[in-house]
Amino acid sequence: MIRYILAALIVGVTAGYLVSYSGNADAGSYAVDYVFNGSLLVLLFTMGLSFGLDKEAMHKLRQTGLRILIVPFTVVLGSILGGLVGGLILRLDLTASMAVTAGYGWYTLDGPMVGQVFGAEWGAMGFAVNFIRELLTIVTITLLVKIGKYAPIASGGATTMDTTLPVIVRYCGPDALITAFSSGFTLSLLAPFSIIAVSTLGRFLLSLTGL
Amino acid sequence: MVYFAILVAPLVAGILAGYALRKKWHANLNKATLPIIIVLIFSLGFSIGSNKDVLSSLPRVGWNALLIASLTIVFSIALVELAKRKVKLA
Repeated sequence: MIRYILAALIVGVTAGYLVSYSGNADAGSYAVDYVFNGSLLVLLFTMGLSFGLDKEAMHKLRQTGLRILIVPFTVVLGSILGGLVGGLILRLDLTASMAVTAGYGWYTLDGPMVGQVFGAEWGAMGFAVNFIRELLTIVTITLLVKIGKYAPIASGGATTMDTTLPVIVRYCGPDALITAFSSGFTLSLLAPFSIIAVSTLGRFLLSLTGL
Repeated sequence: MVYFAILVAPLVAGILAGYALRKKWHANLNKATLPIIIVLIFSLGFSIGSNKDVLSSLPRVGWNALLIASLTIVFSIALVELAKRKVKLA
């Protein structure tokens, strides 16, 4: 199954590239937007259906309750920590590097926001880091589920609400649906605020620690 | 915000429908949904491939971006696995 998913991804990227190169980008992405949203809505309904039919899944959710929100808030810490360590290794501006990772995979949000604050080069970094996060989650999904059923959800960040959700549920089972969706949902809500917070507070906090 | 509501609506509708039907109907929807997942992943790839900002970013920051993205994934997974043990998630 992963072979079909990877093939679809590669063919999709190539097709998108060729169509935008041929100058029909607007018409192409307009149509594909509809296809994307339509298929996502159908998948959300059928994933919900599978979840509702699954007695075990409902029971597990009731047991976990609001503790489920530990996942997205831990991903906030992990992501920004990743930006900090990456910035230290590469000797980059640490505040900017943390702001890049505070997009949690939402590249169409993080790229422009970080670009506005830190300049075009960092904007490019915001795009690249976050869409690579989304792609890596899909490409490595078979490895991630071996670590644990929360690993793909942690990896996907904000994208587990839409783009990576069907693949994650496919590999982790129907009971991962609400955990994944609520984590992606929370992170998508937090992303714009945390990019701003990291951008403004980052330098101040770093000056306190002497980094 | 509209986008959030548009996603939640079919999800909740699906769960309620499944809950209502669960005594009468046992279905494995996995086979039926694979083609739709393929379509979704294709269009995800398409929107990445046709995004000029995304593509032009790669030659400029590619390897650094790959490292930072990998680190965010590694730290996110590590902390969630730690938290899972502390808080006992199902």
